[in-house]
Amino acid sequence: MNWSLFWDLTVSGVTLGSVYALVALGYSMVYGILKLLNFAHGDVYMIGAFVGWFGLHALGGPVSPNAAAWVVIVLMFLVAMVACGGLGVVIERFAYRPLRNAPRIAPLISALGVSFFLQNSALLVFGASFRDYDTFHLIGAKTYNYGDIFLSVPQILTIVSAIGLMIGLTLLVARTKIGKAMRATSFDREAASMMGIDVDRVIASTFFIGSALAGAAGVMFGLVFGQIYHFMGFLAGLKGFTAAVIGGIGSIPGAMLGGLLVGLAESYATGYLPQGSTFQNLYVFALLIAIIIIRPSGILGKADVKKV
Amino acid sequence: MADDLTPRPPPDQPRIGVDEWVASVEGKRERYRGPIGWLRRGWDEAPPGVRLLVFVVPAAIFPLVTTEGNLFRYGLITLLYALLGLGLNVTVGFAGLLDLGYIAFFGFGAYTYGYVASSQTGRHWPPLLAILLAIAVAAAVGLIVGYPSRRLVGDYLAIVTLFFGQAFVVFVNNANRIDFPLIGHADLTGGANGLANIDPIKILGWTVNTTKEYYWFTLGAFLLVMVLLYLVSESRTGRAWKALREDPLAAEVMSMPVNRLKLMAFVFGAAIAGFAGAIYGSVQTGAFPGDYDVGLLITIYAIVILGGAGSLAGVIIGALIVNGVPELLRDANEAEWVFYTTVVLLVLIKIRPWLRLAVVVVGTLAFGFVLHAIADAAFPRWTAGNPGEGALAHWVSHWMLLPTHSTQIANWAYGLLIAAILVLTLLKGWWRTIVMIPTIWLAAFVWENLLVEQTAGATRFLLLGALLVVLMNARPQGLFGTARVEIA
Amino acid sequence: MRRRATAIAALLALAALAVVAAASAKADRAAAPAAASSADARLISCGNTRTMGVLGPITGPAASLGKLQIDWIKYYISKYNKTHKKGKLRAQYGDTVLGGPGGTAEAVKAAQSMGSNVLGVVGPAGSNEVRATTATLKNAGFAFVSGSATNTELTTDGTRTGFFYRTVPPDSAQGTSVANFINKKLKFKRVYIIDDQEAYSTGLADTVQSKLRSAGVTVTRDGVSQQQSDFSSLIAKIPRDTQLVYLPWQLPPKGKAFGQQLRSAGKGSIVLMGSDGLFDGEFASLGNVYASSFPTSATNAVVKAFKKSHGGDPEYFGAPSFVAAQVVGGAIERACKDGKATRGEVRAQVRKTNLKKTVLGLNVSYNAQGDIKGGQFGIWKANAAGTFNPVS
Repeated sequence: MNWSLFWDLTVSGVTLGSVYALVALGYSMVYGILKLLNFAHGDVYMIGAFVGWFGLHALGGPVSPNAAAWVVIVLMFLVAMVACGGLGVVIERFAYRPLRNAPRIAPLISALGVSFFLQNSALLVFGASFRDYDTFHLIGAKTYNYGDIFLSVPQILTIVSAIGLMIGLTLLVARTKIGKAMRATSFDREAASMMGIDVDRVIASTFFIGSALAGAAGVMFGLVFGQIYHFMGFLAGLKGFTAAVIGGIGSIPGAMLGGLLVGLAESYATGYLPQGSTFQNLYVFALLIAIIIIRPSGILGKADVKKV
Repeated sequence: MADDLTPRPPPDQPRIGVDEWVASVEGKRERYRGPIGWLRRGWDEAPPGVRLLVFVVPAAIFPLVTTEGNLFRYGLITLLYALLGLGLNVTVGFAGLLDLGYIAFFGFGAYTYGYVASSQTGRHWPPLLAILLAIAVAAAVGLIVGYPSRRLVGDYLAIVTLFFGQAFVVFVNNANRIDFPLIGHADLTGGANGLANIDPIKILGWTVNTTKEYYWFTLGAFLLVMVLLYLVSESRTGRAWKALREDPLAAEVMSMPVNRLKLMAFVFGAAIAGFAGAIYGSVQTGAFPGDYDVGLLITIYAIVILGGAGSLAGVIIGALIVNGVPELLRDANEAEWVFYTTVVLLVLIKIRPWLRLAVVVVGTLAFGFVLHAIADAAFPRWTAGNPGEGALAHWVSHWMLLPTHSTQIANWAYGLLIAAILVLTLLKGWWRTIVMIPTIWLAAFVWENLLVEQTAGATRFLLLGALLVVLMNARPQGLFGTARVEIA
Repeated sequence: MRRRATAIAALLALAALAVVAAASAKADRAAAPAAASSADARLISCGNTRTMGVLGPITGPAASLGKLQIDWIKYYISKYNKTHKKGKLRAQYGDTVLGGPGGTAEAVKAAQSMGSNVLGVVGPAGSNEVRATTATLKNAGFAFVSGSATNTELTTDGTRTGFFYRTVPPDSAQGTSVANFINKKLKFKRVYIIDDQEAYSTGLADTVQSKLRSAGVTVTRDGVSQQQSDFSSLIAKIPRDTQLVYLPWQLPPKGKAFGQQLRSAGKGSIVLMGSDGLFDGEFASLGNVYASSFPTSATNAVVKAFKKSHGGDPEYFGAPSFVAAQVVGGAIERACKDGKATRGEVRAQVRKTNLKKTVLGLNVSYNAQGDIKGGQFGIWKANAAGTFNPVS
């Protein structure tokens, strides 16, 4: 058993899975409350990556930053998260709120329109070339190892911040008042509004948090993998959606678990199966189908009881 | 006419206690008001044959009055997309099944046709037979995919079909390197290079070669499918599908064979997609893997939902909008006219009373000229840029600021414009009128300095996206769909 | 009854009117639609400004590649117009959205949008796009010269001879030089080939793989999606005793990311080699990598001037498009000598192209199929400083 290969694959899987988990969280939270699949979520992630890049360059750029590297990175995260949160709230207010009582399929097309708009606005304003985060100059590529397990600094950064954000989110949902309001609204929107909860504000907060997480994921992606461009949200959105469904759509721990599973599945499929990299999407989907057949509402999802 | 009995609550509040019948009565009362209402009444009361003619007559005249290039871009591709939309309409619109792998059937049709009728594979079956085979294969695949998924509901069906769609693309992309155990190396689909040199369609000695001929052929095919679908939708099966879509549980309780109906909808939709695929393959003279991916699927979904899921006429309008608008904006000169005409029309139609309209028009013109005069006098660099080509652009350059190095400014102006438009939707009354003036000016500024450079590229898709959002907000049920109210 | 009838009649009339109005508004500036054979012989007046059609991926997933090509084409046109007072060139752009949602239908739509005063076409970029647009462009009588469509069959299957030309060598030529270099010069025995699932890439990878395998080299093959940026699991799978990884990719940023990830995984001793798509400063910045390319020289005056006006980036991927524009522009100029030209004349002039010392480092003249005569491919190596030097 080649342990070195196994640990390498596991580390890559967990790193990529952390990014997917953050994107999946946004999908799951919005679906839980609104039963809406937000197609534009992947593009919010893309905007987050670009905002982070511009933030990096406003602070002096990767080669000679104006402050210590860690300060720069924290600032990048903050700026991207706030910007994307705001963007999410704006999108909800203008593209989804008027359609709240429309048939379920209408906001899907509105989301699609927003997605086209964001992608091509990014193309128009930022241009077609790839932009590089150049993490090598910013924080170096030092690798730490514990036995056979090798971790580079960007990877550690990604995993740690993702875990931190997820813990923060769980605490927010479980312990704070707004978290309680979110849980109530996702359970039954009308009863919640009858209990005096401002449903509009709750939904706006949900979008803010979900989009902020997507923005953080975008910055993380840029730090670990380097290259960002206007079309990157498409595939990430698809994978995030898959992760959300695997973990049980509507469930927050489910989204985290789903993201990790998708990342690990991709990694192991690439590493162990013949022509694994070519067909890796298929293997992930096959995993998804297998899980749905065994547990139709996802791993941690609640079975939807339909009242007649 | 009678006034509204109860004031309608704003759209984002739940409508408790309203049911379908009440919603439809309100809808009907509103429907026949005004000149548009007159047209609507004509449409509603016309027999289906006449409604079909309303579409057929202009479609038949179209090739005779336009150039070949326009015929292809606006006519042929729109028809093909509309044909695909008809098939998806059966699965999504009639039966309510969210099929995200629909495009794979399209691909199956094209590849099957190409496999038996192209110079690359060396087989040259009679094209009509090849088309029938394509339909049969697509329907069979629909059966194979539909059978295990017939019990899945909603989102889970979506996932499974999405998987199937992705599997198809990856398979077809790599199928030129497959080593079968008994047969040995086989090149099924030409891999990433696709199946090229597909034969043109030949019927009874007539070879379909030019764009016009393809257009006639596709129009004929489209009409055939349209008539067929109309007959089906009026039949027992069609009614059963509609019942299934509205409430699957009630349908089952009414002893409808729900699973069998779902399977039939799947197979029907797949067969139509296969037919469209065969035609598309011969139009493109090749079947390439990238053509049958999620991107096109999303486009067809947009077409069906924009037109109204379940409505046959809506598919045509949806295809015209989703395909026609980006094409219209390809050429910078045409796009210039489209932009200014749209802005002027919107202002003229939507702003009432007349006083406000006058204020906006005069205000915007004055605003522009005043700024231009100030800039000419004090900051000449702001008016020294390049106007576009054409007479319209020339006139506009006297009214609008054209800075020399406009990229940075235009980018920020673009962001400002989006913010301004969003704020505008929140304001009411005179505030709205006043803010409208600089917003319109800003829109023209951004157009002249940023968007017009990229009409062949980013601009047209950007505007399509914005159009989709606006249309869905204005009419969530789609242009020809029926208003539905979710019962609380 | 009568009201219903009039309403219906009004609807019909309205619809017909709308269509006729729309159609006549969109009608092209020149009058009659061009039929297949008469397109060849239709005289287009040359006038003071001649139009060249440009088909490329302006938007979509391949927009970054299209930008490089269009930058070089725009550069050619601006240079040409500076030296020609009469008879300037302008471009009509058609967006083919390579890899986008509409698939190759977008490319055909773009080809169909070429106006009636267009004399010749540069592009399209993708090999599949060339296949899909052949019928349209041939019907319209265009010569179309591509700066990046490398699939071998495009010139050997005979369907577009006399219409299609290119300023890049076919995959068979590039694949052969690469395989020979790996086998004979470097004498490697264990090679890993990773394609990016696009037509260009799999074609090249197939050629190199079969040639190496028949020479007895152990070749493992895998693929990644062009959208992918995380190569860490794939890199983990590559055995440490692999001697060379061949990447026939189109996007230099991805090649660079792969190289960096390879090195940070501790497998930096494996030699990295790219195809002409990776012949770019970004990939070279990795240092000690190989790439195949035309003998484009960084000291060429045109290249230097281009670099200066584009922020120091030579954008080599677009250089063949510059030459393609040269071919078409030169053909238009020669055909327009008598003030009028037909598309057939432009095609004949393209056939007679004879350019000396182009930016590609070789002379361009065409054989009967449409390929450059004697278009040799060289292998280059990037030194530690990140500049490519020829090694074969």
